[in-house]
Amino acid sequence: MAIAESTLQKGSGGISVRQRKMLTHAAIFLILVGLWEIGSRTGWLDPLFYPRPTNILRSFWLIYIANGNIWFHLYATMVLVFAGWLAGSILGVGLGALVGFNPLVRRFLKPYVIVLEATPRIAVAPLLIALLGFGAPSKIAIIMLVCFFAPFINTLSGVVNVNEDRLELFRSLGASKMQVLRKLVLPDAIPVIMAGERLALTAALSGALVAEFIQRDEGIGSLILIYTRNLNMASAFACIFTLTIVGFLIFRGMERLDLWIAYWKSETGMKRVGARRARQMKGDI
Amino acid sequence: MDGAGSVQKMSGSVVGAQRLGKTFGDGSVVALEDATFDIRPGSFVSLVGPSGCGKSTMLRLIAGLIGKSSGELMVHGKSVEGPRTDVGMMFQKATLLDWRTAIENVLLPTEVSRTVTKADRKHAADLLRMVGLKDFLFAYPSQLSGGMQQRVALARLLQTGVDLLLLDEPFGALDEFTRERLNVELMRIVTELKSTTLFVTHNIAEAIFLADQVFVMTPRPGRIAQIVEVPFDRPRPLSIQTSPEFNALVAEVRDILGEDH
Repeated sequence: MAIAESTLQKGSGGISVRQRKMLTHAAIFLILVGLWEIGSRTGWLDPLFYPRPTNILRSFWLIYIANGNIWFHLYATMVLVFAGWLAGSILGVGLGALVGFNPLVRRFLKPYVIVLEATPRIAVAPLLIALLGFGAPSKIAIIMLVCFFAPFINTLSGVVNVNEDRLELFRSLGASKMQVLRKLVLPDAIPVIMAGERLALTAALSGALVAEFIQRDEGIGSLILIYTRNLNMASAFACIFTLTIVGFLIFRGMERLDLWIAYWKSETGMKRVGARRARQMKGDI
Repeated sequence: MDGAGSVQKMSGSVVGAQRLGKTFGDGSVVALEDATFDIRPGSFVSLVGPSGCGKSTMLRLIAGLIGKSSGELMVHGKSVEGPRTDVGMMFQKATLLDWRTAIENVLLPTEVSRTVTKADRKHAADLLRMVGLKDFLFAYPSQLSGGMQQRVALARLLQTGVDLLLLDEPFGALDEFTRERLNVELMRIVTELKSTTLFVTHNIAEAIFLADQVFVMTPRPGRIAQIVEVPFDRPRPLSIQTSPEFNALVAEVRDILGEDH
């Protein structure tokens, strides 16, 4: 059996299927980058707008190590993203829960929610700056506005769509409103709220960049603006790829957080928390 | 045990109903009409009949989940006025909470009424062992089969410590083999605990196999057509279903229900 399995797993060259796939991906990637490099060197691609990959690499070295000027801006952007996301989330989840629990509020608020959903929220950004002035508060307000909607809608629907059978179970046990909220509604809504938070964090990154484009004082957004103005496209690309990596890490981090909080949605999560419960109750049972 | 019920007054019964009725809408839909019965402590009553005969309505009336439209209904000697915690209900769906392990699900009723103690946890673990889940105390509902989920639901029902169990087709969604096995275990457990049990089903053989008394119910309007006494002692073996006496009872119930069955 073991022999049969290993022959299935191995390709002809003695490497696993997985390894061969990775090699293929790497080869395709290198060919694409190589074509870009050649195209840029021969002038087939305009080197002004499509800087050579080797130049982009050099820019990475410059902005991260030689000059090290990106760190300040990266830090500024990340602080902004998380502050805005946190503020937007608190507003979204809080408002979603409030509206979800009050049928009356829900009825009267609904038209405004629809209007707000239909309005491109980024359009309000200049107004926010006019209201709050330049600086962190207006930037955070812009991000809040951009990212509060997904947590709001998801919390609302999570709170409203409680399973009827479960509700009847709690009712038949004589549970108080507070108990229904704490032991049923909130845990039940967690996975869908987390899905909203994931969307919100991605939106927060875009929101932060827009805020920085407008205000041009600090952050990766202003840095990209400065580099493109100076036609230093290689460094602009280095900044963009930095954001790619940041976006990827954020996405992965949220996935981890999701698995951590909504543990019952994955086998590993159930194993982890189940084992912990078993340890906690060991002495009692 | 037979015959004892007729001597007992209504106050001595766990559930007593006089001309109990329930209508829905503007009163034009009669779900249950003119139901009069006494249920003896520790007895097992099956409610059998086709859909629309009012069997689920009756259960929900007794649980206080819906209010009666006419007549009298007493549980534990008191008139039913609203949802009550001294009865336990179980449905076709297990309705477990996905984010809780089996034992945490069983502990839910206790948690709702007071602080959970060491003894409660021990009791919950014992109940799960009793329903045959000793290796699954810390499993999550999604890791359990349908039959196992219903076992957890049964343990949760027993955790409440109530002596009146209302079961609405609890194993109706399970396959025949699992259902039969769970029926046998249910009979063993409620007989051991001396719980008074009302069991709703549309399966005639199942109704007779489990019960001391079968309320045979007919639809439009929903009413109790007849109460059939089952003379066998509990717990009883599955093989009793092949005996002539058993089959005579099946024929009797079938006869009461009419030619639809």
